Amino acid sequence: MSDITPNTDTRFDNLLFRIVPHLILFALILVIWEAAVRLGFITSIIIPRPTAIMGAIVELYFVKGTIYNHFFVTLTEAVVGFLIGASVAVTLAVCSALSDPFKRYVSPYAIVLNVTPGIALTPIIIAWFGYGMGSKIALAAVLCFFPIFVNTLTGLLQRDEDREELFRSVGASNAQIFRKLRVPAALPLLFAGMKIGLTTALIGAVVAEFSQATEGVGVLMSRFSFQLDMASSLATLLSMTLIGLILFYSMEFLDDRIVFWRRETRRAAASRAKARAWNARMGQ
Amino acid sequence: MAAQDTMTEGLAARSGGLSLRQRRTLLHALIFLTLIGLWEAGARLGVLDPLFYPRPTSILNSFYLIYIKNGNVWFNLYATMSLVIAGWIGGSILGVGLGALVGFNAVVRRFLKPYVIVLEATPRIAVAPLLIAALGFGASSKIAIIILVCFFAPFINTLSGVVNVNEDKLELFRSLRATKMQVLRKLVLPDAIPVIMAGERLALTAALSGALVAEFIQRDQGMGALILVYTRNLNMASSFACIFTLTILGFLIFRGMEWVDHHIAYWKNEAGMKRIGDRRRRQLGPQVGE
Repeated sequence: MSDITPNTDTRFDNLLFRIVPHLILFALILVIWEAAVRLGFITSIIIPRPTAIMGAIVELYFVKGTIYNHFFVTLTEAVVGFLIGASVAVTLAVCSALSDPFKRYVSPYAIVLNVTPGIALTPIIIAWFGYGMGSKIALAAVLCFFPIFVNTLTGLLQRDEDREELFRSVGASNAQIFRKLRVPAALPLLFAGMKIGLTTALIGAVVAEFSQATEGVGVLMSRFSFQLDMASSLATLLSMTLIGLILFYSMEFLDDRIVFWRRETRRAAASRAKARAWNARMGQ
Repeated sequence: MAAQDTMTEGLAARSGGLSLRQRRTLLHALIFLTLIGLWEAGARLGVLDPLFYPRPTSILNSFYLIYIKNGNVWFNLYATMSLVIAGWIGGSILGVGLGALVGFNAVVRRFLKPYVIVLEATPRIAVAPLLIAALGFGASSKIAIIILVCFFAPFINTLSGVVNVNEDKLELFRSLRATKMQVLRKLVLPDAIPVIMAGERLALTAALSGALVAEFIQRDQGMGALILVYTRNLNMASSFACIFTLTILGFLIFRGMEWVDHHIAYWKNEAGMKRIGDRRRRQLGPQVGE
């Protein structure tokens, strides 16, 4: 059998073989949960039935379609906040890495910002930036600033003396050393910081929405749970998970593309592409 | 190096006998005071609206008000901190226990992985309204929120600390016929504990954030409620005083955890090794007849 089936099929079989036990376990959990609620072991007001959650998802996404607006509002807030926070963080980190005095006189403020629970700023930020999207973006930016700053700075400060010496011995300028040696060495850490930052940006957006907002999954969630509509509330929570997964995996994708040399397959693909480009230029 | 030393000495001589360190501290203070001065001047000249951006002097005045004259911050600080500690202990037990359980058991690990990924992507603090609806207003739902927010870091760190055992060392232990208990005590834990402690540190910070969010939603007592009420009344100076209180608190937590870490995972630093080594030597001294 195995000698006539193509390679892809066995891979598919393997995948199936790996996934089926997971699915069985998941189904089992759902069935026990459903039964426990139906038989009255768990109050459905506190923990609703899985089928009720499923119904709420269908209603939110397909029947009424109320979720989409809120979903994209929160997604936009988190992403814009992240972009602002990340660009400030990376700029400050690069300045700190390039200039010792800058680092010395800026770092105390960064540390103060780090030890303050950023979430405590929620009411003040809402007073400053209003009830709209501005305050959510601002809180997301504040919360995601520090992990990105600290990771970028750590990445840029790690010096590989041997390689630097090699660069100098072939006459590289300081700018070249920075661009070709220190930045690529810092990128993996920078992306690790970005991944953390993106998650915290989402937290910032959602918490600001809890406090005061008219749109966004955070508002939807608190509205549903104060109506004791737990099924819809959990469905909204799953939507937040979805936002989180979308953000995380898009960052993972960028990480894969930009820091391609860290992974064997990506490095091979990149070198193949380079080889093709060279061959085309050579007129082959 | 010598050239640099003479240069700094020369600079020190020129700047009135201050050492490099003293001059840096002075410059730090100068920058800080200039910033504060600019802020104060901006507020007084009407560039910054004092309704939203309170003057530094009025923040200081608020510190006096909430700490000494009214003294209302103490009760709220106590309310928040007792919640944070209770939730943090609960979350730590849950996180470390679950992490160890999952870490030592490959089957459980395999089946739990997808749920961990989903849980990691969810903004866990978002469960707050749900928990309040389920458990009602009051301390129980707040502690539940804190546990939920802070259990994850110890969980992940315990898991990775337990799983990432140095293979070479493990082989050495096996070849010397170490028992499972010995492997755990002498190999796994010494490497895992610093990682777990790092998780605990993150958890304590997360617990403080969780407590604040819970108090923002419930608005009855605690620092979160205090900040919210002051901001709603546009009493920004007091609100800032509360925030700076939290900054100090965060700093104390950070330093405190560092100290605890230093003493528990003593083998990770020179001073701790020396301290414990000295103590052992004192204990063993009479026995070996030193």
